Amino acid sequence: MEKKRLYLELENCIGCRSCLAACTQCGGHEERNRNYVYDVNPLVNRQTMPLMCLHCVNPACARSCPAQAIQIHETGAVLSALVEKCIGCQNCTIACPYGIPKFDEEQNLMYKCDLCIDRTKDGIPPMCASVCPSNTLQWLSDSEIEAKQKQFNLDNGKWVTSLPYLEGETNVKVNLPGILQGTTKLF
Amino acid sequence: MQRDKFFKEVENVTHPNEKLVKTHCSYCGMQCGMNLRVNTKTNKIIGVEPRYDWPVTVGKMCPKGVTAYQQTNHDDRILKPLIRDDASLKGTKEGFREASWDEAYDLIVNKFQELQNNYGKDSLSVYSGVSMTNEKCYLTGKFARVGLQTRYIDYNGRFCMASAAGGFMRSFGVDRGSTLPWTDLHETDCLFIAGSNTAECHPTSMFRVWAVQERGGYLIVADPRETPIARRADVHLDLRPGTDLALANGILNQLIQNGYADEEFVNKHTNGFEETKELVKLFTPEYTSELTGVAPEKIIRAAEIYGKAPNAIVMFARGIEQQVKGVDNVSGYTNMALVTGKIGRPKAGVATFTGQGNGQGGREHGQKADALPGYRKIANPEHVKEVAKVWGIEPEEMPEAGVSAYEMFGLMEQKTIRGLYLLCSNPAVSAPNLNYVREQMKNLDFMVCADFYLSESAEFADVILPTTTWAEDEGTVTNLEGRCIKINKAQEPLGESKPDWQIQIELCERLGRGKYFSHLKSASDVGEEFRLASKGGNADYYGITWDKIEKQDGVFWPCKDENDKGTPHMFLDKKFYHPDGKAKICALPYRPPAEEPSEKFPLRLTTGRVVYHYLSGNQTRRIQFLKDMCPEAYVEVHPETAQKYNISHEEKVRLFTLRGEAIYKVKITEAIRKDTVFVPYHFGHDQSINLLTIAALDPMSRMPEFKACAAQIEKLELKKVQ
Repeated sequence: MEKKRLYLELENCIGCRSCLAACTQCGGHEERNRNYVYDVNPLVNRQTMPLMCLHCVNPACARSCPAQAIQIHETGAVLSALVEKCIGCQNCTIACPYGIPKFDEEQNLMYKCDLCIDRTKDGIPPMCASVCPSNTLQWLSDSEIEAKQKQFNLDNGKWVTSLPYLEGETNVKVNLPGILQGTTKLF
Repeated sequence: MQRDKFFKEVENVTHPNEKLVKTHCSYCGMQCGMNLRVNTKTNKIIGVEPRYDWPVTVGKMCPKGVTAYQQTNHDDRILKPLIRDDASLKGTKEGFREASWDEAYDLIVNKFQELQNNYGKDSLSVYSGVSMTNEKCYLTGKFARVGLQTRYIDYNGRFCMASAAGGFMRSFGVDRGSTLPWTDLHETDCLFIAGSNTAECHPTSMFRVWAVQERGGYLIVADPRETPIARRADVHLDLRPGTDLALANGILNQLIQNGYADEEFVNKHTNGFEETKELVKLFTPEYTSELTGVAPEKIIRAAEIYGKAPNAIVMFARGIEQQVKGVDNVSGYTNMALVTGKIGRPKAGVATFTGQGNGQGGREHGQKADALPGYRKIANPEHVKEVAKVWGIEPEEMPEAGVSAYEMFGLMEQKTIRGLYLLCSNPAVSAPNLNYVREQMKNLDFMVCADFYLSESAEFADVILPTTTWAEDEGTVTNLEGRCIKINKAQEPLGESKPDWQIQIELCERLGRGKYFSHLKSASDVGEEFRLASKGGNADYYGITWDKIEKQDGVFWPCKDENDKGTPHMFLDKKFYHPDGKAKICALPYRPPAEEPSEKFPLRLTTGRVVYHYLSGNQTRRIQFLKDMCPEAYVEVHPETAQKYNISHEEKVRLFTLRGEAIYKVKITEAIRKDTVFVPYHFGHDQSINLLTIAALDPMSRMPEFKACAAQIEKLELKKVQ
């Protein structure tokens, strides 16, 4: 089976937050959602965007963890803190350049997106990408992502957020807002 | 099975001690496919899993859909019949006591018979809804006309789909909400969408909408607000609320003037072109702009795109339909497709976004005041004969046509209607001019409400009967494409709740009308009778069996017999349903909204939905996630308008019209016209925007003008806020 990844097309987001509702439905998520959707400019327009864990190849959250509670799965997914190891220091929440890890004060425990590892380890799309009504979140193979890259080409050659925009290489690929400006119209 | 580019082979996750039950969402007309997760030890619904193999929505769900399962085992469920002995408590939640079904039935039968003995059969009324199966909708019509023998039955589609129905009947001679399947949408070259906040009201259409633009196609949106779909439109026609007909005429005029009319199609397959052409000449871009507030160049550009597009689909929703000229708006926009011949083939046509889950099926089979199953008419003696035969009554026994939903409240005031059986609806939130409506509900001699939660309307009842949620019964619904699909049962009814069809049959037996109902022992029995009753009508479901639905991923009506696969695309043979086989291009003079802004009420008030709530909110306001996302009503105001009133973001203000007032938090946004304010309509009691809306009805559809009235804002003194 061809490897698939989470792919974000930010231009598509309609702010329905279905991804957050669906996140609670993943068996391993204790009915808590682990990502974010932001209003980009709420007093002006209705643009929104999801902020998902990008599953960094060299994740700052895991590197900053003194207890090695954040493991990286063989698929590349950066997992949520191991309950028995997490000491609740919150280093990860500070280290993550995108502010992804959430903290449960009561349990003194960090929790974050694990890319629905129970699903994605078997090639089943994560809940967020499964339900996303606008195709902002998609679960695509590398060849499908390559096709997207050809389709959406910006003048500067940058079609996904990549260096220097992000802190490092990520497993999740992101397609920037405004990308449709490059589309050739049918007539 | 239709599989398009979005379809992917995905295996579902099944957790230990769980099974998945294939079904569809309980909410809107999209009827997204979903799997309910059921614990095999407790036999209770515990969650949801995407239904990747449903061809329309391929696993996608909005936040309402994802959390829909939480309704069934919710703490607020009514588990036993409730009786309130003290009528002075009507309009509150107080005074209900639990009772047995027998006691509740006895009381209802006594009261109903007493009213009918004293005041005639028509002193009773049934007010229904279409968020339920075809089987239930069909039986409710029979329950009213054969069981209770009253002429007064109508339903909440009168606040939802009635104008689309009226417009399609006039233009095409048939009312199927979409002339094509949704799997065509992303393959068209231009979507012209008027009065639909698609991203919030039908979110799972959006991946197909965006795909049109991704292919280089165009998106044109007409809406007074820059909604999430309008934000990305190639042209956003930001019109004043209530001026759609002028815009439709203006665009039609441009299409004709610039040579985009398809003369061959017009001559062969339509009537009314010349007359319409003459009428719309008045609607130059400048005059249209004057009426609508849309810049002339945008009108010209929109017409140019639609005219040039090899294939295009005109779509609309409540924004254009909930007006005093809703039917005209529907025919007006439909004219665009008829004049240019962009209809009657794949990837081109006309569609309305059906609001309620079974808004299509529920309006076809006899809940409407003037209609009988199969889209037959009470005014037609032949139609009456056909249905009377299936029902086992004499044609003379068929009650006459009744009145529309809102007009029933008028008859309550006059004491013509004294008793009400309400089901599947919450008019104490959803009807316009609520101060009046709530007063009439309070003054009823006797009211029964069948619901699974204690809605704001149930607060006016003498007896509340606990019904099942959608997941505790089975049957069919017809989605917004006109595709009849199957709802499956995932769990036994909670507590003592019963499905509506069973309640109605048991009541009829106690009312001495059992011989017309007792042979119906299951939803499937009702379904079989309903197929037969629809046979030969415009909306013919005779060939739609539950088996065929399963095999074909749903069946599009009309479907006349066992061998008929159904009709995904309408009018492929260019035959319309008027007697001469032609469609009607309608010449429609412009009328302004019933209430125009004035010195005292300078703002235009429009109402609508948010993505987190469904209709009156009776269901979604109880779901924690949805409540957290949108806990209360608010009023959207443009910053320049806010400055004029010296009000700021999140400040509470008084919003009022000639009919009522309410206090709302201000939400400042540039994504709305300066002359317009918007309030979502999902909220109850003193938060209901329908306290302010106007009950001006469309002369044909009897649809109230929810989308436009004149309002004023008042800044509150500090004391009042506290």
